Amino acid sequence: MQLHRDRSKFEDAGVRLAVIGQGTPAHAAHFRDSQKVDLPMYVDKGRESYRAAGTKVATVSELLGPRMIARGAAASRRDGVVQGRTVGHPAQLGGVMIVRPGDEIVYVHLADDASDNPTNDEVLKAAREASKG
Amino acid sequence: MPSFLGASRSRQETRPPEDASGLADLVVKDLDGNDVRLGSLWEDGPAVLVWLRHYG
Repeated sequence: MQLHRDRSKFEDAGVRLAVIGQGTPAHAAHFRDSQKVDLPMYVDKGRESYRAAGTKVATVSELLGPRMIARGAAASRRDGVVQGRTVGHPAQLGGVMIVRPGDEIVYVHLADDASDNPTNDEVLKAAREASKG
Repeated sequence: MPSFLGASRSRQETRPPEDASGLADLVVKDLDGNDVRLGSLWEDGPAVLVWLRHYG
């Protein structure tokens, strides 16, 4: 998801954004600077939080199947972003979660394959609901 | 023998936790290399956490 493009909408909704990647702070800083992604970023080199969040490691077909290739190409055309160097575990999938105080999870979307990402609109709608209490 | 790209040999299921208590005490690093307790991100209000598959 291209979260940074709607950063102000999320902030207006009263939620805090946190992007977690693999690798080192230097890897994340390079990504932030090269892709002009102005978001609060963190790194989890050991992927402990990935496991605790319940994300999965993909099979080859979930990484490189025809649907994933087609969606990846479409996303590259749409967003003008080309996948960068893979850092960390190449088959690790990601996800999105909204957590409220008290450790309450009010939204979760964990990728089922490499092309499975929620839309910004879907996450933004959930974020606005989370802020209402 | 390692699998291609470290991919799983069998299909896994995602397993989201019922609550975020198991995440709260985990520590990640910010881009300055400082430790950040994940639970601190949602102590005062809701937080959207995004786990990236890759950079880019």
